[in-house]
Amino acid sequence: MKKQFPIWLGFALALILLPQIFDTVLGISILNQMTIWIIFALSYNMLLGQGGMLSFGHAVYFGLGGFMSVHALNLIADEIIVFSITLIPLVGGAVGLLAAFFIGSFSTRKSGTVFAMISLGIGELIVASSLIFADFFGGEAGVSGDRTYGPPFFGIEFLQDAEVYYLGAFWLFVATLFMYLFTQTPAGRMANAVRDNPERAEFIGYSTRRVRFISFCAAGLFAGVAGGLFAINYEFITEENLNALTSGRVLLMAYIGGLGFFIGPIVGAVILTLMNSLLSNYSEMWMLYLGIMFLLTVLFLPRGFAGFIMMHQTAWQNRRLGTLILPYLITAIPASLFLAGFVGLVELSHKGDDTLSFFGLILGTESMLSWGILLTLAGIGALGVKLSRPRLDAAWVLANTVTSDNGGDAQ
Amino acid sequence: MSLLTLDAVCKSFGSTRIINDVSLDIEAGEKHAIIGPNGAGKSTLFHLISGRYNVSSGAIGFQGKSIHNLPPYEIARRGIARSFQVTNIFPRMSVFENIRCALLWSEGYRYSFWQLVGRQKKLNEKSFGILEQIGLSDKAQLPSGELAYAQQRALELGVAIASGAELIMLDEPVAGMSNSEAENAVALIRRITEGKTLIMVEHDMNIVFDIADRISVLVYGEIIATDTPENIRGNKRVQEAYLGEVPCDA
Amino acid sequence: MAEVFVFATLNGLVTGLLLFMLASGLTLIFSMMGVLNFAHASFYMLGAYFAYTLSTYIGFWGGLLIAPLIVGGIGAAIERYGLRRVHQSGHVAELVFTFGLAFLIEEAVQFFWGRDTKNYQSPELFDFALFSLFGQEFSAYRGFMIAIACLIFAALYFILTRSRVGIIIQASISHPQTVANLGHNVPLIFMCVFGVGTALAGVAGVIAGPVLTTFPGMATVLGSIVFVVVVIGGLGSLPGALIASLLVGLLQSYAIAADVGVPELLNQFGVSFDSSHPLDDLWTLNLPQVAPVLPYLLLVLVLIFKPTGLMGNREE
Repeated sequence: MKKQFPIWLGFALALILLPQIFDTVLGISILNQMTIWIIFALSYNMLLGQGGMLSFGHAVYFGLGGFMSVHALNLIADEIIVFSITLIPLVGGAVGLLAAFFIGSFSTRKSGTVFAMISLGIGELIVASSLIFADFFGGEAGVSGDRTYGPPFFGIEFLQDAEVYYLGAFWLFVATLFMYLFTQTPAGRMANAVRDNPERAEFIGYSTRRVRFISFCAAGLFAGVAGGLFAINYEFITEENLNALTSGRVLLMAYIGGLGFFIGPIVGAVILTLMNSLLSNYSEMWMLYLGIMFLLTVLFLPRGFAGFIMMHQTAWQNRRLGTLILPYLITAIPASLFLAGFVGLVELSHKGDDTLSFFGLILGTESMLSWGILLTLAGIGALGVKLSRPRLDAAWVLANTVTSDNGGDAQ
Repeated sequence: MSLLTLDAVCKSFGSTRIINDVSLDIEAGEKHAIIGPNGAGKSTLFHLISGRYNVSSGAIGFQGKSIHNLPPYEIARRGIARSFQVTNIFPRMSVFENIRCALLWSEGYRYSFWQLVGRQKKLNEKSFGILEQIGLSDKAQLPSGELAYAQQRALELGVAIASGAELIMLDEPVAGMSNSEAENAVALIRRITEGKTLIMVEHDMNIVFDIADRISVLVYGEIIATDTPENIRGNKRVQEAYLGEVPCDA
Repeated sequence: MAEVFVFATLNGLVTGLLLFMLASGLTLIFSMMGVLNFAHASFYMLGAYFAYTLSTYIGFWGGLLIAPLIVGGIGAAIERYGLRRVHQSGHVAELVFTFGLAFLIEEAVQFFWGRDTKNYQSPELFDFALFSLFGQEFSAYRGFMIAIACLIFAALYFILTRSRVGIIIQASISHPQTVANLGHNVPLIFMCVFGVGTALAGVAGVIAGPVLTTFPGMATVLGSIVFVVVVIGGLGSLPGALIASLLVGLLQSYAIAADVGVPELLNQFGVSFDSSHPLDDLWTLNLPQVAPVLPYLLLVLVLIFKPTGLMGNREE
């Protein structure tokens, strides 16, 4: 643990300093979103990456935690129960834990596809029920609250987003720390063992069901915490935050980031939140790009972005990482051209009568030249990538080869 | 009183009877080998004892208490450990972690989510100790899936015995090994099963006659003989089962 | 009362057969390749959209003929270039891939066709009432849907059980290695089965489009119900899928038609409730409200008590 203290310190420092760097309204808003989604994605990875349990209904715990939290905000505002809103994530966590305890008691009996289907069924069941139980779920309009009516926390009333950020950052740090520590406990280690080989885990004395159940409850708890933060941030929640789409979104985050690494979901949550917030301003089609990126990741980068970074570990150990920089650059340039061309084509197709502003050029759907430019761009890019690949491949092999004169130990 | 008793154990899958009326008594400290032609049901017998399968009828008792039809983790906790014919470790975890996980229950950690394994001195020392015993200390941090075959088998052994079980069951521990690897493995098995009870399924007769105090011969799900190695060697029924007709000068 | 029952049964039948058209393809694909195609309902949607576009040029019947072929072709291509690759990474990766595919197809549909509901018309040929019972009409188009569905199943059944191709497919389901050793091109068979399965979904889309409305959300709406059906029936069992499809279709139909609820039940026993109490939502429940929830409730119950489904025998 001593070796890791600097990492945690760095993490805390980054959390404190980030809003100073990105101090625009949009910046703070994005940071706030990230705090929520990082906790949510990390909690999901407790199930999938660490426990080997694929769930399509994790948003249930997030949503239930969120709904209870908004109700708690209202209870505080009405002065029925009064406590500082800084504790709201705990309310969310408690609800998430309770729900996971109840649902996990039967859903963790099975694994694999059956477990995934149960999670989907439960998720749909709860979403469908939410429209029936309108009192708790607010029907189609959802439930809203106000975080500023709570008792001040050392004088802070959380009127400003920046204040909310520091609250979120605090809970993010605490939650991440605890989720990490969980992986270092017997329960967490056995979760890995059960993921790798459930049969063998039983033969060393552990009930796989029990192990999964514990992971399930822990994951529900932290998802609820994220839900509580969501409630504070948006002061509003609807059944959409419980549904399969939200569950799918957190699955995407964990997967794109990299399931096999603790920081994977953090990377994924950051990437997706950025795409969501920034790209959606520039293009209506950002979801399409997201879908394409997701599929490409599944096909070509099954270990996610974190996995992609870790792939370079051998090269780094061989001290040959530098040799890869030039080949990457050489491939990156045509790749960027292709990307620009492709995006341009997609965007232009959708413009109809409008024009597309493309790096300073004004392109129109009627103009053959516009299409020509984009197609040429994409074509050159694709060709360039194809031509530069062999060089990159060769450099890769070389960087990963262990020889006696670079001091590597045969692994 | 015997350590392990099998009493008229039968196992059928659908209408196919795999184990037919097997009775066996294993004494504490005994080294017992189970041999037999392929398909005789040796692995199935192991699965019945270790809890992977339920018996169709009959009883299995360990230390006087019945264990048949208990879940595998329950049986493991009572002091029966087993290894597998096909290597069955935790491939994505390091070699060290494999052993450490195998130690968790017997060291009393249960499902604790409030203790950090890195801080547990005794647990970690014991884990290193076992790693040394099986000769994998220098590979401790390697993902176990990346080990060479013979080393994986050694780890397999290590995971099986880590918990300090009273009864150790090994299913073809040297399968697929070269002669020198097998020699090392047998020496290892001798070391780590000293003072314990061992049941071993094995095809290599040299190893069997070397290690075993007694041998049971399983053919078509039935035990046709249980005896000392010398007597088994001369047993006509056994010879028939393996060789077909008994040669004249047997 | 009787006419409500009759029409509810007929409507339930239509829904059930439609569900089975989707569930059968899904089951075939799962049986053969072990992958639960999350994007199956997306092919249904593609079928409807392609048929819509084609119908504006060559009429409904042209769409019925060609759209499934296009959809099947896309499905086969996806199997060949996408799924096959992901297969090596394991079941989770496959599920995640098909999940991403569903997502992508929905976005692509919105990209190419826009987000509005399409005015996909059923052919004028069927613009009459097949029969009229107790004053209510049963449209001929629905009768046509039932007829087409039955025709397809009969064809499937005969192909699978009586033809050489069918025998090979059945064998590949349980023993792909042996079939490969006999010299058959198993990857090709897989690709064809995936293509046919998705084409079936496409056909369902073609005929359901006019009735169930053609809009980008149509895959999501039907998608989860299809999964429910397949799991309830037993993963990998075609008869199970049929029974479950009809069960779910009829159940929902009856629930919607039967306008009874908890209040009536309570009144029978002389109990009333306080309508301002927070739990009043529970006591005002009526069957039509609960209808959407029923399939999922059934799914959860089945998964708890008989995880292999009604007729399944595959244990994961």
